[in-house]
Amino acid sequence: MNERLVLLKRRMRAGGHWALRLAQPIDLLGECENEGLSWPRRVARLVRRQCEAERVVIEPEEKIVFTRTVPGVPPVYSPEDWSGLTAGRTLHELGPVSTICADWGLLLSQGLLGRREVAVATRTRLLDDPRVVEFLDCAIETIDAVLELATRYAKQAGVLGRDDLAAILESVPAHPAHTFREALQSLRFCQAVVWLGGNYQVCLGRFDQYMWPFLHSDLEAGLLTIPEAEELLAEFFIALNKDSDLYPGIQPGDNGQTVTLGGIKSDGSLAVNELTRMVLRVSRDLELIDPKINLRISAQTDLELLCLASELTRKGLGFPQYSNDEVVIPGLVAHGYELEDARDYVVAACWEFIIPGRGMEVVNIGAVSFPAAVDQAIRVGLAEGMEFDGVLNRTAENIRAQVSQLVEVYSRLLLPPAPYYSVFMRGCLEQGHDLSEGLKYNNLGIHGAGSANAADALAAVKQFVFDEHSLSAGELLAALQANFNGSETLRRKLAEDGPKVGCNDDQVDALLGSLFDSFATACEDYGRTPRGGIIRPGTGSAMYYIWLASGHEGMREPVVEATAEGRVSGEPFSANLAPSPGVRVRGPISTLQSFSRIDYLRICNGGPITMELSDSVFRDPESIRKVAMLVRIFAQLGCQQLQLNSLNLETLLDAKAHPEKHKNLIVRVWGWSGYFCELSPEYQDHIIARSLYQVE
Amino acid sequence: MTSGIVFDIKEFTVHDGPGIRSTVFLKGCPLTCMWCHNPEGQSIQPQVIRSLVGERVAGREYSAKELASLLNEQAAILRTNDGGITFSGGEPLFQAEFVAEVIDYLDDLHVLLDTCGYGTQQDFLLLLARSNLIFFDLKLIDGEAHRHYTGCDNGQILHNLQLLSGSGKPFIIRVPLVPGVTDTDENLAAIAKKVEKLPGLIEVDLLPYNRAAGSKYRYAGMEFMPEYDEERPLNINTIIFEQAGLKVKSL
Repeated sequence: MNERLVLLKRRMRAGGHWALRLAQPIDLLGECENEGLSWPRRVARLVRRQCEAERVVIEPEEKIVFTRTVPGVPPVYSPEDWSGLTAGRTLHELGPVSTICADWGLLLSQGLLGRREVAVATRTRLLDDPRVVEFLDCAIETIDAVLELATRYAKQAGVLGRDDLAAILESVPAHPAHTFREALQSLRFCQAVVWLGGNYQVCLGRFDQYMWPFLHSDLEAGLLTIPEAEELLAEFFIALNKDSDLYPGIQPGDNGQTVTLGGIKSDGSLAVNELTRMVLRVSRDLELIDPKINLRISAQTDLELLCLASELTRKGLGFPQYSNDEVVIPGLVAHGYELEDARDYVVAACWEFIIPGRGMEVVNIGAVSFPAAVDQAIRVGLAEGMEFDGVLNRTAENIRAQVSQLVEVYSRLLLPPAPYYSVFMRGCLEQGHDLSEGLKYNNLGIHGAGSANAADALAAVKQFVFDEHSLSAGELLAALQANFNGSETLRRKLAEDGPKVGCNDDQVDALLGSLFDSFATACEDYGRTPRGGIIRPGTGSAMYYIWLASGHEGMREPVVEATAEGRVSGEPFSANLAPSPGVRVRGPISTLQSFSRIDYLRICNGGPITMELSDSVFRDPESIRKVAMLVRIFAQLGCQQLQLNSLNLETLLDAKAHPEKHKNLIVRVWGWSGYFCELSPEYQDHIIARSLYQVE
Repeated sequence: MTSGIVFDIKEFTVHDGPGIRSTVFLKGCPLTCMWCHNPEGQSIQPQVIRSLVGERVAGREYSAKELASLLNEQAAILRTNDGGITFSGGEPLFQAEFVAEVIDYLDDLHVLLDTCGYGTQQDFLLLLARSNLIFFDLKLIDGEAHRHYTGCDNGQILHNLQLLSGSGKPFIIRVPLVPGVTDTDENLAAIAKKVEKLPGLIEVDLLPYNRAAGSKYRYAGMEFMPEYDEERPLNINTIIFEQAGLKVKSL
């Protein structure tokens, strides 16, 4: 990182640009009402007014410009009208379309004027259809608004004597990009305006694919050197972090600005190129939360690329996240995706696999609570004297009921129009329809939360009550009722002696597999939704691992009290695919083996195996290479998605305060490794102090 | 069928040899090194470890076949990733027949023997023949000092070192650097002299002392009583080895 980048990063982090923002969001409710605008026209007006309200900001050192100065996204309906408009309908989260991915290649190859020409041509062709005409007029209005904004930026650049910048801004986003810098600038404008229009979780897609032709030709023509390209890329990444505080999300940083790198192309050939590596390097050196990196791999992926990715993991940012093409692509095909589209998948905001420009999917409509399904089946089954198969059947019924409930709610889904976002989707301008009316793929996704805890609970009941008969049904039920008060010995037996997911144990891993099979069957049996799509089951948990245990306002799922794997009421469940909290597992390889038992051909919505490694594991190039091998093992075993975390100081401090949450945290001490929680406090402090030095 | 006592099996031990490996920690060691960082490995008897996260028993009996089949569950993974199994401890030589039988049941896996070198010639040869790579510890060359700090004479260790170098097997000498005890120029020079002409030696690894050495004692119900100053700066003198023409690394 050169001095200019250090300065840009420091300035962005310091937030000086926030002072340039307007004090209040703009107000356009009055004009929407006075003119009696339709919903699509209101949304288009919103985009236009937001662009008009933007002040031009060009910092002296900046090569990639656009700094947002409009603070919020104002409503286009009064609360009363909004209630009327949405009565009896289901809005997803905040309402506006989120967590989809544009085909940014359309922008770069055609420019906004090219997209405008398509809209005009379709309008001429389908002039008799008022809906089409309205949609295209809206889309054109937003395109013109962005072009006008870019023109003001270009003029200001000229006034400042920044002729090179002015020339670029006169060229893009209006016209197709010609250079890497133009492509970055064009994307910066057009992606930022998606946020301005109220859409969120705005993914960046296959960045190393649609950007590579520009970088490649610049390098070939000698217009750019690798270090110059890296500098431009770094500046683009810094810009992506400028407005994070304005993005809605459950936690700051939960904003879906993901890129998906590598893998294979639509034709099946390898997609990795110099830009793939450059993104990994720049992200490693910048250490910023955006963009979040996903890397598509397979068992054949070059180990050197995985080493580079592991160097990024070492930074403790929690990415790259890996997905396994050899598992994801067949899974998507099995769910009705065309092979060429499946090969082009990207990772949405968190984990879900979507197709850029072709999907209007709602990938996270909720989560099946496996712990609730299993716990109810155990309590009822034992009380009624069922055999273990009966408990399993009841579990499957409960899962089915939960799926039906979730999907029923979404059968009334209402998606607000998004004429501007539609400009970058395939077919919208060509056929004259808004993305909210549906794209090529219109599926819903449901996650399956708390799976390891649920499988552990079933396994404990099977082993102790049904196989060994060392525990009576009545005794277990009474202990669960009493939240294990007075039954600590029994609780420990369940928690410590029962089979656990993460240990490559056939018994419990088979139960884990069967939970997901029941989930998949329930989704398959549901059939088509009113939007014409299917239900995709997944393996993520988002915040549900906490919520299902301790409750949350507005949550539809029941809070689960004490459970048969020896968990007391209120303790969180496993997050995504991870062993139950507090379980001492055999190790990372066994954990991968356990999770390889899920049939990912049927479970294709995504959700990562989540693992924590001490950053002391990343000590030298040789051990980083072994982390890369661990990633390769993940792929060799046929697992689907992996998130590796390198532990940092904060985690160590948390481990010291809450050791029960970090039993498997391994630290390198001296020619040997030990469990952090088994070191006495003064030694923990020593390691904490040492990691303090490693931060720099 | 023999059985043995193991106090841990760790996967993905990135610092215990080449590639992706699992390490088996055999319980029981003839030495009682004052700086031992695995005190629960000293006694062969199972021991209760009481830590902040509760109790667990360190030490479990396995039959050779049982342990081997557990390890073989991952044989394909370990083989395709240039790795294998490391036997450490405690001291593998202390349960040599058991370890040998486990190795014989292993499914064509690379075996690394991590040993203090203390054991009978027969036991040493038994495991040497079955190992692909050996980590051989050398702590102190002076016999008296060795007895004082480890509780054992080093004569047998140095004898086994000769057997090792005559075996044609590749090996790495590992020297734990303990402040004022093993890290003296005098001791390091004596080690360098002892190993400089040995065929099969790949390199010398210096393992710098870390003050976490004593951390597990309390949890194992034992007492940590170092007779040296833990705060004293280490003498990580690689030059002595380089001058003897040896490849040396400080880990």
